[in-house]
Amino acid sequence: MARHMGIELPVLFMLGWLCARCAGPRLEQALRPWNAHGLPALLLALLVTAFWMVPAALDRAVLDWRVGELKVMSLVAAGITAGATWRTAGPIIQAFFVLNWSWMTLVAGLLYQESAQQVCSVYLIDEQRSAGVAMVCWSVAGALAWLHRVIANARFTIS
Amino acid sequence: MNSPLLRAAAAALAMLLLTCMALAAVTGNFSALTSDGVRRAELARAPRSVPHVALIDSTGQAMELADYGKPSDQATFVVLAYVRCQTICRTGASGQAWLQGAIRAHGLEGRIRLLTLSFDSENDTPAVLAAHARQLGADPRLWRFATVSSGVDRARLLDLFGVVVLPDGLGGYSHNAALFVIGRDGRLSRAYDIDRPDLALVDFLESFGP
Repeated sequence: MARHMGIELPVLFMLGWLCARCAGPRLEQALRPWNAHGLPALLLALLVTAFWMVPAALDRAVLDWRVGELKVMSLVAAGITAGATWRTAGPIIQAFFVLNWSWMTLVAGLLYQESAQQVCSVYLIDEQRSAGVAMVCWSVAGALAWLHRVIANARFTIS
Repeated sequence: MNSPLLRAAAAALAMLLLTCMALAAVTGNFSALTSDGVRRAELARAPRSVPHVALIDSTGQAMELADYGKPSDQATFVVLAYVRCQTICRTGASGQAWLQGAIRAHGLEGRIRLLTLSFDSENDTPAVLAAHARQLGADPRLWRFATVSSGVDRARLLDLFGVVVLPDGLGGYSHNAALFVIGRDGRLSRAYDIDRPDLALVDFLESFGP
């Protein structure tokens, strides 16, 4: 479970992100008519990452290969759209989504760690704890990484 | 749709709608966030008829689960377990033992029967089940133990109860557990937390009305 939620899911998202980077400015331009300020793209990323934290959703993805495929496609798509529009969204909108996502992931991670009840039927209860730890780590790392970029960019523009 | 903001709003709305639909599908129309909760709600909404599952009880006698699926005066409280289980099955066993005590205390012998089904037929032979039953103080008239006869029966059993069994890497299994009730109409209609046999009993008694 820790490998699934802590490694596979973030890797899929980041793969999408990298694809968007490789695609260059044309992808962003293609998305622009429906993607004012990058809001829909970032909303998609938030919704997709939130959805796959629901225990029943993760169970279905493991038990049904079609839902598993959907999981992979949705995470990569979310990564692509978010990665393509990240820069154009600007620091304020970025802040909104990063902080919301980080907070949600942190709380979910803590809940997974603390829950005495087994929430996923396809994973063992001790795996649940380590998945929670992984989620907490990602939420902190993501927020700090973004903060670092913002400060570095601010220093660049000031000097 | 000329304004880019309007188009963005439409895109956002479409995504929210899609997410809601997906969430509804996965949570059984928002009944619960966990698979166990969803199963509980689904059983209450759409009780399942009991299929043919060939079993062997603790005396070595062949049994048929479908016999419990016929309408009768008795409801059956079922727990799925395996004898070597050190954790959640013990809670299930003590729950069944509590129910046995409650049945005797309230004179419910003609109304409730108990069934413990093992999905680990390789290790839980009739002799092992019999020893386990003796250890728990099970009254054979009230509380029967049985295991599945084949892999196919095992699959059908797990499918009926929505139980997922995973090897835990230590020679045992991890599995989602619940206290199930096959009603007097012979259909599987209730799933309770494994540590709440009291709720199951209260619900059952209330079903007889005031």
